[in-house]
Amino acid sequence: MESGSNGNNRYDRYHIETKPAPDISEWPTRFTVEVGKIGLAKELLTEIWHHKFQNWDVITSRPCMYGVFSGPVGGFSPQPEHCVGCLRCTTEYPDFVKVSHNPERKKLGDSYFTSNFIDAISYEVEQGMIPVKGAGYRGKFGGDGWDGMWTDMSEIVRPTRDGIHGREFISTVVDIGYRPNMLTFDSQGRPTGPTPRVISIPIPLIFDNPPPSVSGELIWKIYSQAANSIGSLAVLPLGAILEHNLESDHVIPLVAPEEQENIDLLSGTPLMIEMDGWDEQLHRHIHDLFPETLICLRMPFSSSEELLAYNKKGIHVFHLLADFHGQGEDGEFVLDLIRQAHTAFVEAGVRQEVTLLSSGGIIAAEHIPKAILCGLDAVALDTPVLVSLQAEFSGECADRNESEFNMPNNLDLDWGRQRLMNLTASWRDQLLEISGAMGLREIRRMRGEMGRAMFMVDLESEAFAGIEGYEYG
Amino acid sequence: MNTDKSTQVKIVEKHIANLHAGYHGRAEGLFPAPDALGDFRWTDDLILSTYYQAEYGRPPENGMEYRTGRSGGGFDVLDFKFLPKVDWLPTEAEIDISLPLNKRGEGRKITIDLPIYGGGMSYGSISEQVMLSRVMAAKKWNTYISTGEGGYPSGLVEYKDNIITQVATGMFGVNEQTIKYAPIVEFKYAQGAKPGLGGHLLGDKATDTVAELRESVPWVSLFSPFPFHSVYSVEDHRKHVDWIKTTNPNALVSVKVSTPTDVDMVAVGSYYAGANIIHLDGSYGGTGAAPEIAKKNIAMPIEFAVPKVHNYLSNENIRDEVVVMASGGVRTAYDVAKIIALGADGAILGTGELVALGCTRCSNCERGRGCPFGLTTTDPLLSQFVTPDWGAQRISNLYGSYAYQLRDILRKLGLTSIGQLRGRKDLLRYLGSEGNGSSEQDEQG
Ligand code: SF4
Ligand code: SF4
Repeated sequence: MESGSNGNNRYDRYHIETKPAPDISEWPTRFTVEVGKIGLAKELLTEIWHHKFQNWDVITSRPCMYGVFSGPVGGFSPQPEHCVGCLRCTTEYPDFVKVSHNPERKKLGDSYFTSNFIDAISYEVEQGMIPVKGAGYRGKFGGDGWDGMWTDMSEIVRPTRDGIHGREFISTVVDIGYRPNMLTFDSQGRPTGPTPRVISIPIPLIFDNPPPSVSGELIWKIYSQAANSIGSLAVLPLGAILEHNLESDHVIPLVAPEEQENIDLLSGTPLMIEMDGWDEQLHRHIHDLFPETLICLRMPFSSSEELLAYNKKGIHVFHLLADFHGQGEDGEFVLDLIRQAHTAFVEAGVRQEVTLLSSGGIIAAEHIPKAILCGLDAVALDTPVLVSLQAEFSGECADRNESEFNMPNNLDLDWGRQRLMNLTASWRDQLLEISGAMGLREIRRMRGEMGRAMFMVDLESEAFAGIEGYEYG
Repeated sequence: MNTDKSTQVKIVEKHIANLHAGYHGRAEGLFPAPDALGDFRWTDDLILSTYYQAEYGRPPENGMEYRTGRSGGGFDVLDFKFLPKVDWLPTEAEIDISLPLNKRGEGRKITIDLPIYGGGMSYGSISEQVMLSRVMAAKKWNTYISTGEGGYPSGLVEYKDNIITQVATGMFGVNEQTIKYAPIVEFKYAQGAKPGLGGHLLGDKATDTVAELRESVPWVSLFSPFPFHSVYSVEDHRKHVDWIKTTNPNALVSVKVSTPTDVDMVAVGSYYAGANIIHLDGSYGGTGAAPEIAKKNIAMPIEFAVPKVHNYLSNENIRDEVVVMASGGVRTAYDVAKIIALGADGAILGTGELVALGCTRCSNCERGRGCPFGLTTTDPLLSQFVTPDWGAQRISNLYGSYAYQLRDILRKLGLTSIGQLRGRKDLLRYLGSEGNGSSEQDEQG
């Protein structure tokens, strides 16, 4: 699980093998293209008349460079799947060509995971690349949550572009587990106190247990194989692991208190087990059975006191949950919840000893570095994994257990694994862009670096102070 | 396309005629705006009103919104507190919108006729025709454009007095000759659309001619490194300035930087290292290829960076010795005036000029052969869609409309020069996060 070396102690640079993995389910096109047939016919006749039945290359020269009108009957039967919305056709022929955003496409997702996020992921998982476009930013100025936060950059520090393009190394490795604040040794140099117990994963991203509405053998296999291929982790139900033989170093069993006895059925020693809620007895049982195994507590974001209390009981890895829209139980957003949890451990002087994982509301590449700057160690991805596999949302999908997603009927193991590899590769590269811009060589150094985060509320209050009508916040 | 030359000419003529008629028809409102046109920052109205201004040299009077977008923040939530109509200056009042670009005691004095110049757009990222359009308009208005980081096509040399030579990390096209040409040399440390990430020209656009100018290999993507590998401190930057000054002692020095948390420190450092102009490039603009993640998320918008820098330089008592220019999301004459009220001396345009030439802001600049409207492309056929004379007139008209509006804004604020507006936040009003800065103050009088 160590990145950067293999079993022979030879150095390997971390790499995810990307391959094109086009959609398997036909989703609505981004644009609709309507061509008035009478208008087009008139235009053609006018041109033919104008050119006196000559210059056919000129007459048939079409405005679209992307093949929308290149079928056998040209504009009489446009192919909107090729349309990129450049609007040249409707600029040249405004009286009979209409290009619109496809309302059906806009219906994908829900009010949080909007179709814009889905469009971004669609590109990322098809290509495994970073979306690169011209013409600047098109969105809202700022906003709440992630949109109200910017990351820093540095004008003159390294590693930067070189790091991004591989000549220098920016490490995205993070550790999950326990690191004592201090090591102690006896006179022989042998450690006398607690020693670190960590799993190092090459990227700060793991796959979280899929929600009940899509769970099944194929999905679990896609998750476990993808985690294996990228060298990360997938959290899967213990029952599924046992039933479908999914045990591996890349699969973290998720165990509910009532499943305590089934843990004994595991054939190997898991690197980590995730407890689905606190249970004293379960904790003790896991500890007795697998003393070397890390125990992670899965629980909703909670008060500082509660988190510290679990830490005192021996929990060093927390997997904190918001709903799929990033809301905690009291309605606070995941960004603020991460900051609070991180601060609680910093103030207690034990941040170094714990790992914070989180799920819920982290649905775009940029959310990962922002969450890390707020204090997270790694993200356990939920809905973006489903979107990568072309899951469709059934209504609003906020609740972790009740939400209904529909997977494509023709879901395929290799395709699914490749899509998740592509997603990870694209998001990792984007993480490198952000860290490169800041001049950070290690993602581990990014955690909780609030000096490199800028919040709209602070920037605006400084910039707009004294402007009539502006009040702080 | 396998067509002979005369057929090609006819094809180009056909599409030019159609495009020009389309820009006109849409600007006039003869056809409804396409549903797919526009976004929060550049709304359909802003795009079409820019077409209108490019055609007529005046803002539209048909109800189209030409002042602000709908982004819900920054410029779009600010408006001017115009005086009651009785206190407006008369329409014939002399209002000075010129801007001196060297405020230091020594060196060449340069004044531009309006507080605007054209930002760096490299040959390769745009066509030579578009470059020529821009510089011919700049010449008319006694202002400048920057070469960007793509070299100096020979067709531009006759306009060298209106061209800023950009020295960026790839050093494409930078040599003693192009430094000697330049009245102003611009060091590009970073750019707002991709802060901290360097430039990026995709392989499809690195044609033979582009590669020749950049002394690179055709059809291979070009990444400008980031940062300058010879500059790791303000002292190193100072040596950079010395290098330019040795070659061209008359050149003014501009330092283009992005907007990190400590942008105020960067500005002060640049000043002490000899900059005449500090060019702050905010994250929301840009015309070239940029990773989507960088556009929204890295570095702060210009509306926040400018007051920060203005205050810091003022507190250091050096504000009047350096010119602060802002770019990256300045879309309209009102944006120009607002950024000056927030503390800049002037603004640098890029996207607005392309919109004047027909850009629909579709973001496909990097796809295949490049821009289907012939703007951000060096494709031999597509780039003929813009003829320099037509392009120069359109941009010049846009500048004319901006000049008219800037004078109008100053008149309604009772100011006689653009310099008097600098840092006057007290003349702005905040409209709340949903407001879009388009209050009908003029009409209320
Ligand atoms: S909008 Fe552009 S891509 Fe779409 S059909 Fe028209 S010309 Fe083709
Ligand atoms: S491709 Fe689209 S966004 Fe880019 S310059 Fe052309 S019209 Fe504008």
